[in-house]
Amino acid sequence: MDANDRIVGGLLGVILLAPLAAVLGCLLARRPRPAEYLNLTAAVSVLAAVLLLLPRALVRTLTFWHGYLIVDALGAWVLLSVASVYLLSSIYAIGYMRRLDEAGRLHRFYALFAGFALTTLCGPLMNNIGVYWIAIELTTLVSTFLVCFELRRDSVEAAWKYIVVVSAGISLALLGIILFYWAGSLRMGPTYDLTWAALRTVAPQLNPTVALAAFLLVLIGFGTKVGLAPMHTWLPDAHSEGPAPVSAMLSGALLNTAMIGIVRFLQVADRGRLGALPRLVVVSIGAFSLFIAALFIVRQRGIKRLMAYSSVEHMGIMTLGFGFGGPLGIAGALYHMLGHSLNKSLMFFGAGNTMQAFHTKRISRIHRVLRSLPASGLLWLAGAVAITGAPPFSLFLSELTIMRAGLAGVNAWAVFVMLPLLVVIFVGFLDHFRAMYFGGHTAAPAGAQTGGSAGAARAPVRESVWCVLPMWLALVPLLVLGLWWPQAISHYFSVVAAQLSGKAVP
Amino acid sequence: MRDILLQIAQVLSVMLLAPLLQGVILQWEERVQRAQGPGILQPYRDLWKLLHKQAVVPETASFIYWIAPVVAFTCMLTVPILIPVLTDYPLPLSDMGDILGGGFILTLGSFMITLAGLDSGGAYGGIGASRAVMLGILAEPTLILVFVGITLLAKAMLPFVVNHLLAGQPAVYWGPAHLFLVAAFFILLLVETDRLPIHSSTHIEVYMIDEARILEYSGPLLALLKWAAMMKQFILYTIFCNVLLLPWWLSHHGSAIGAVGAAAALLGKFSFVALAVVFVETVQSRLRYFRYQEPLAASFLLAVLAIVANQLR
Amino acid sequence: MFAVHLPPLAASLFSLLAIASLLLAFVMLGSRWLKDYLLAFAVQSWLIALLSVAIGYYGHYPELYLIAVLTALFRGLLLPYLLLRIVRQMNVDRELHERLSPSSSLVVGALLVIFAFVVADHVGISLGIAGSVAVLALTVMLSMKLIGFLMLAVRGEVISQILGLLVLENGIFLGSQILVPGMPLLIELVILFDLLVVVACFGVLVRYLLLHAGTSSAHDLRRLVG
Repeated sequence: MDANDRIVGGLLGVILLAPLAAVLGCLLARRPRPAEYLNLTAAVSVLAAVLLLLPRALVRTLTFWHGYLIVDALGAWVLLSVASVYLLSSIYAIGYMRRLDEAGRLHRFYALFAGFALTTLCGPLMNNIGVYWIAIELTTLVSTFLVCFELRRDSVEAAWKYIVVVSAGISLALLGIILFYWAGSLRMGPTYDLTWAALRTVAPQLNPTVALAAFLLVLIGFGTKVGLAPMHTWLPDAHSEGPAPVSAMLSGALLNTAMIGIVRFLQVADRGRLGALPRLVVVSIGAFSLFIAALFIVRQRGIKRLMAYSSVEHMGIMTLGFGFGGPLGIAGALYHMLGHSLNKSLMFFGAGNTMQAFHTKRISRIHRVLRSLPASGLLWLAGAVAITGAPPFSLFLSELTIMRAGLAGVNAWAVFVMLPLLVVIFVGFLDHFRAMYFGGHTAAPAGAQTGGSAGAARAPVRESVWCVLPMWLALVPLLVLGLWWPQAISHYFSVVAAQLSGKAVP
Repeated sequence: MRDILLQIAQVLSVMLLAPLLQGVILQWEERVQRAQGPGILQPYRDLWKLLHKQAVVPETASFIYWIAPVVAFTCMLTVPILIPVLTDYPLPLSDMGDILGGGFILTLGSFMITLAGLDSGGAYGGIGASRAVMLGILAEPTLILVFVGITLLAKAMLPFVVNHLLAGQPAVYWGPAHLFLVAAFFILLLVETDRLPIHSSTHIEVYMIDEARILEYSGPLLALLKWAAMMKQFILYTIFCNVLLLPWWLSHHGSAIGAVGAAAALLGKFSFVALAVVFVETVQSRLRYFRYQEPLAASFLLAVLAIVANQLR
Repeated sequence: MFAVHLPPLAASLFSLLAIASLLLAFVMLGSRWLKDYLLAFAVQSWLIALLSVAIGYYGHYPELYLIAVLTALFRGLLLPYLLLRIVRQMNVDRELHERLSPSSSLVVGALLVIFAFVVADHVGISLGIAGSVAVLALTVMLSMKLIGFLMLAVRGEVISQILGLLVLENGIFLGSQILVPGMPLLIELVILFDLLVVVACFGVLVRYLLLHAGTSSAHDLRRLVG
């Protein structure tokens, strides 16, 4: 164990212990203010630790704790997007939750929030596949209570659907894992540790029928958690009914944590003698998610449901990227992952601000956002342009990369499905924003000018710095990454791609 | 020669012991409910009485009315030839038909009674016939499935082969496939022999099925029909016990003592099954007509499970 | 592999226990009364515990005895008790809004079993172990999975949905006992524990549902669509 390993171990300790300490601290403090800052401190330290971890994870893959924890380049990248979203939404939560008038239960919210972050951070670090499954299951359990934190009828309903659908779906993944274990046990003896590395090693000798069945089950199981259509049904409910910071965490952090499972199993499937079917299925599911998202985005009425379906869309795009594979596809998907995490947080923050200002979730009742929310409204609009994949933001670059990767591969048809759907989503999504920002003239043409119509009548709301700051913090990197794809990140992605395809690290 | 005598003894024992079984079940049902109940010989007395009464024939009835009881009775006399009642080896003429053949002959009897119910021209006869056919439609697939299960189990359709297999190999006997077949057949037994939860021979108009079909009959013809029903019950019990549930204690060599012993053992086995039937009748209430498919769906399911379990041993 | 070369009596015993558990899943599917569900679930868990003991004995996996005891305690006693408490809170004794009558769901369930069997048989043939207990275990595992999903789909009472999920879990657990008896102890323990947490969470959520949504039937949860 050399110095580098010890440093990585220490950073891991920070990443896992800081949220844990925040959970305990919040429960002990029992008052809202200390809980807010405890959670924020934990988030800052986690992000700092992850940033320090990134270059070290690149050197080589490390395992800790008898091989139960793994630090590899792919996991560290997912950690980065999780940690950024955690920090952004922790900042935002301070502003948002103070307005909810729930001061008595706020310490519990932060305890749950830090616990949710902890389980989400655990996922990418788990080396044993069974334990990874449990980490994913735990994220569901913790986040269920965050979704129904406001205890309204709708949010309880959403939480119920969320836990039932996801638990049922994820149990399929467990079945798939057991089948993988079984197929492996025919080669490796009855008792062994089912780590990612072990499964990768044994993959070429697995029985193709069992491995294919297991892979499909795992894909459906974790696909449920990722929110891929047609298993996405829980996602709009849960994302739209939770408090805005929770929605951001669900969309920006949780989905990625489940996505990494699919990516790693795809790697196993590549090593096995499964033919082209696994990738074809992955790509088809990705394209189908895009299709479903396009349908629902165009006719959406709820503002946060719009964001939720946009998550389905972006998860579909990411799945397409990973499904296309190759260095380019993986680079595009990973870049997309970070960009989506930042951008979707921004979108949910803006939606939260708007909802608090207008006291409604319905798009049709929101008019003239800029008049009420000059600062965050502008940021939100920029975010909306960014999330539909318009230049000069980073999602444009990553989508372009993914399409290039797709055209080079065998599943090029998916690009031609993807392209028109992206256009439809672009138009549909921005049309809703047009209605919210510049609409309302037809409803009350005279009144709108003088500030007479219902939505536009509001005077500018005082925007808390806690609510605007995270939006800036999300938009700036998006813009920077959209204008400039750093060489260091390219190198990072090439290492990830090499590790995933099993070639020598460049 | 001895085999022919034994074959005749099989038919006779079915014919003569069937009312006894009915009497035992009826009495025990009452006894379980702390009532006195009729004597166990009451069915004999009923038959005797009916045989001495005058037969009244509806004006609309055709020849079917006359032949139906006879055909039904003859069917019930034919089936015992095919199945192991007293001996565990085939007797002369028992290769006329396999399990499925026996099932067809039983169904033929029921079919004739249904025709007769329609033929008598009464309103109840029509209702009874339609209900009986409905029940048959529900029960028949399951019955076929049970037969398929048995066939897959023993790789043969002959009841004697099944008997030998189950008596000889405990691993098969205690295997899930066999136990599920037993359970599935038990439900069919309840349905086919007029027991709760369906109990088709009740006199309550809303529920009556068998009773409605033979409402127009009287005198000796009615006696024949009732006797045929008892024999059908006896035959189904015999198949259930000697083929599926308790394939032991049959005469191996066909000596007179063996045959008598087998008949005595038969009574013992039947009292065991009758006990189970009485238990079900006591704890189970009657189902509404539109829920008759529920026990049969359960039976169907059990038969499917048996077939699946049978493939994997 | 363990489940292929077995003495005939052991194979018979395993298949009997596995199929009996499947039968209990059907009992749940075919009954309307919530108490019957619970009872069937408890008995099913006990059967699975027995199966663990039998596998531990025949396959020489002593740690399975511990698993068996924990299964019996957790799944056989504690979970039914917790669920019983939920049922008492709800003031509902029977399923009122099934979308498919019990007898139809039994028949559909039987068809699902046949489907599971076809899949398992295919896998068994490709592995060269057709007709062994392993294939039966696979069949039962997949069937219970499908039956669990069927229960989730056709039953509305929240408690039925919880039980549907638990049937899913029981199916996996049962299959894994036969297929991979050597699975590390830690994983099995964590999964058991996880199940307990799941049910506890469901308990809290049911209380919320009653308090804030005023219903105990998932059919009434239809405000969020589109």
